[in-house]
Amino acid sequence: MTDVIEMHLKLLFDLDNLIADMEEPAYKKIGFKIEDEASLELIRKRNQLLKKLPEELGQIYEILKRRYRQAIAPVESEFCLGCFQKLPTELATRSKEIITCPNCGRILYWRKK
Amino acid sequence: MNLASLLSKDRVSLSLKPGKKDSVIKDLVYAIKKGTDAELIVSTLLKREELGSTGIGKGIAIPHCRSLAVEKLEIAVGRTSKPINFNSIDKKPTSLIFLIIAPPQDPGNQYLITLGKIVQIAKEITKKNLIQKAKTPEEFITLINDIEKGLTKRK
Ligand SMILES: [Zn+2]
Repeated sequence: MTDVIEMHLKLLFDLDNLIADMEEPAYKKIGFKIEDEASLELIRKRNQLLKKLPEELGQIYEILKRRYRQAIAPVESEFCLGCFQKLPTELATRSKEIITCPNCGRILYWRKK
Repeated sequence: MNLASLLSKDRVSLSLKPGKKDSVIKDLVYAIKKGTDAELIVSTLLKREELGSTGIGKGIAIPHCRSLAVEKLEIAVGRTSKPINFNSIDKKPTSLIFLIIAPPQDPGNQYLITLGKIVQIAKEITKKNLIQKAKTPEEFITLINDIEKGLTKRK
C-alpha cells in the first residue's frame, strides 16, 4: 500500500465516522447546526475517495463497513481493537501490505509511534 | 470523567496567533499530533466544518471529529490574541477555541458526553463573560473546573 493510498483509506474511514456521527441521535442532541446540502456533498466526497482506492481494497472496505459499521480496526499491543483478539506475533510487525484480522476480518491499522 | 482532568496546561494556549480559520485549526492540531497524523486530523476537521461551522457564537468555537490518528480523547484549547472569523452561526468573531479529537472506537461514548459538556461550559463562559478572564493556562483549567463543579451542583 503506498502512502497516498493509505492516506485515502484513512480519510475515507474518518469521513465515514463523521457521517455516522451526524446521524447519531446523541450527537444531534448536542445541537450543532448541520447543512443538508453539505451532508450530501460529504457523501459524494467519500464516494470519490472510495474510487481512488485499488478496486479490491475498495470492495473489502465496503463489505466490512456493511458488516461492522467500522471497516478498520487499530492494533494496540498486539490486539485487534475490533474484536479484541490477540493477533499472531508474525502479523504484529508493521507492513506495507493490507492486513486483515484473522479473527474478524477487519482491516488492521498500526498507529505510528 | 471531569473535563478539567482532560486538559493539560501545555495544550492550552492563551496567546494563539490569529489568522484564517484553517490555519488556527492547524496550529491547535499540531499541539496534539505531527506529520501525516496531523494532516489526517486537519482534513477531517475541515470536512466537519464544511457541514456547518462549529463556531457556536458569542466568541466560542468547538471544532471536533473522530480520527484514526488518535488513540484516546485529545483536547487542545486556544485563545487568539485577536478575534478571528470562524464563520460562526452568529457571524461574530471568535477568540476561544476548544478542539476535540476522539478515537474511532469509543467505549462508553466518552466523546459525545465530553462534547456535550464542553458546549454547556462554553455557554456558561459566554453568559458570564469569562472568555478573557484566565491569564495563564493554569488559571484557565481552574476556571473550567469551577464552572464544571457549578454545573454539576445545579443538577
Ligand atoms: Zn479482529
